[in-house]
Amino acid sequence: MNDRSLLRRAPLSWRASAYVIMIAFAVLTIFPLVWLGYSSLKPNAEIVKYPLALPKAPSFSNYAEAWKKGGLDVALLNSFLYTAVATVSTLFLALAAAFGLTKFPFASKKFFTGAFALGLMITVHAVIIPLFLLEVRIGLVNTRLGVILPYIAFDLPISVMIAISFIKGIPDAILESAEIDGAKYRQVFWLMIVPLCTPVATTMLILSFLRHWNEFLFVFIFTTKTALKSLPVAITQFAGRQNIEYGLQYASLVIGILPMIVFYFIFHSQLRKGFGEGALKE
Amino acid sequence: MRNLRSKKLSYLSFILPAFLIYVGIMVFPVVFSLALSFTKWKGFGPMEFVGLDNYVRMFSDPVFYIGLRNNILIVLVSVFGQIPLGLLLAYMLHRKMVRGAKKFEVLIFLPITISSVIVAQLWNRVFSPIGILPSIVRSLTGNSEYIMTIFESKAYAIVPIMFVLLWQHTSLYMVIFLANLQRIPDSIIEAAQMEGASEGTIFLKIIAPMLAPVAFINSILAISGSFKSFDLIYSMTGGGPAHYTEVMAVYMYDTTFVYQNYGYGSALSIIIILFIVAAIMLTRAATKKFNFD
Repeated sequence: MNDRSLLRRAPLSWRASAYVIMIAFAVLTIFPLVWLGYSSLKPNAEIVKYPLALPKAPSFSNYAEAWKKGGLDVALLNSFLYTAVATVSTLFLALAAAFGLTKFPFASKKFFTGAFALGLMITVHAVIIPLFLLEVRIGLVNTRLGVILPYIAFDLPISVMIAISFIKGIPDAILESAEIDGAKYRQVFWLMIVPLCTPVATTMLILSFLRHWNEFLFVFIFTTKTALKSLPVAITQFAGRQNIEYGLQYASLVIGILPMIVFYFIFHSQLRKGFGEGALKE
Repeated sequence: MRNLRSKKLSYLSFILPAFLIYVGIMVFPVVFSLALSFTKWKGFGPMEFVGLDNYVRMFSDPVFYIGLRNNILIVLVSVFGQIPLGLLLAYMLHRKMVRGAKKFEVLIFLPITISSVIVAQLWNRVFSPIGILPSIVRSLTGNSEYIMTIFESKAYAIVPIMFVLLWQHTSLYMVIFLANLQRIPDSIIEAAQMEGASEGTIFLKIIAPMLAPVAFINSILAISGSFKSFDLIYSMTGGGPAHYTEVMAVYMYDTTFVYQNYGYGSALSIIIILFIVAAIMLTRAATKKFNFD
């Protein structure tokens, strides 16, 4: 960046206000999280009596108990399963569809592209009731597939659109030369298109992971068995309960938040780019 | 040359897996939802066709109006709170008004990764009688009995939720504005400085108008986001107490899945979709008008 430009610094009054606002925002963001973190290391009595104080004798016993009582081990496993299967499937389904829709000369691609674009307007609320009835009818309710399929379907329209705009930029000559060499289209896809898509695939994977990991409604409505709950649903049901085991509630919330903070710091620049572009917000 | 038929088969084999999942799970149910909204049905037994009754009923349903009011308040807090604040924060960071601007940016953007239902639970703890806020008020005022009663207020119960939404989403708009600020060449601000423009003038008269299209599109996104908002409010209050914090999506959920009124629930969901589609159409039109991609 051009650090040494002719730009003059903002006047002192602006800089002072900037400090006030930034610090206020940073404290509001961080302090509740930090407070939750250290409070989760306190026994119940201490939490009730001295809500703001640091733990006298920090202990992880709340974690062990919350982990067991809340069934968080199963929930964590489910979350991984739902997220991984849905995210990876969406990626390859979307890349394949986008490849077909950009590099083949058939008229019907206009129709298919338009149909996917229409999907950007369909929201969860539009389908949740009939989809639930449909899943009940065909026996998908209370199965993992019954969660994963809607995850994939809802992620497809935006993913196909992103993939199309990227694959369009790959020269058509690649396909033509492959045709001359007699390569199969399947090989062209896996050996040429997929590797070339790595940059956009990374962004797609990260944003899709985030959406699936934090998803609530589908799991909440389509599953009633504890064994099928994901982390956000299990934690909400455990921490939201009107019980007075505050230490356990706090510990379960930290278990939900901490992995995402780690995720955030690893992928910060991709997240910033993905969300900053704006189009991916929905 | 390869024959056209096998090429077409390959083409379809790339598209159809995605297309069939998409149509089966998203397109087909939408049609069914519309049909359901004209019926009275408890989820089992015979379905009774009632025409527009469900839609007519909405107009005399006080809970529907509370939901609508709260959805509108949520839009307002986005448009007049999150978006201007996000713009101000982005400008301050872009102009490097604080040391370590990058660090502040990273910290403030953090809530984006935390699930809404968990954000809701976190803030419920902060507001609870043994949470941060009442504890601070108690030690500042000396009133050792203080607890927050705003949640029982018919008019103001939604305010803490609006605050949490501000906490959760302001940084998203900040990041969107930052990305767009970086496309504005420094020379524009330099030139204004040479002309003797004050920082306030530069911000309000030069930068803000340049980002107006972004702000406008953000506003429309905020509208559709508001009508979709379910997770945070469901987890924080469930729409209660006595529907004070009801929003349309939560009301739709309760009507359908708790009270088994599938017809009325479907009608509510159709109305939600209409609001969202209208907002998205507006976004599209605006995007074209501002020639902004």
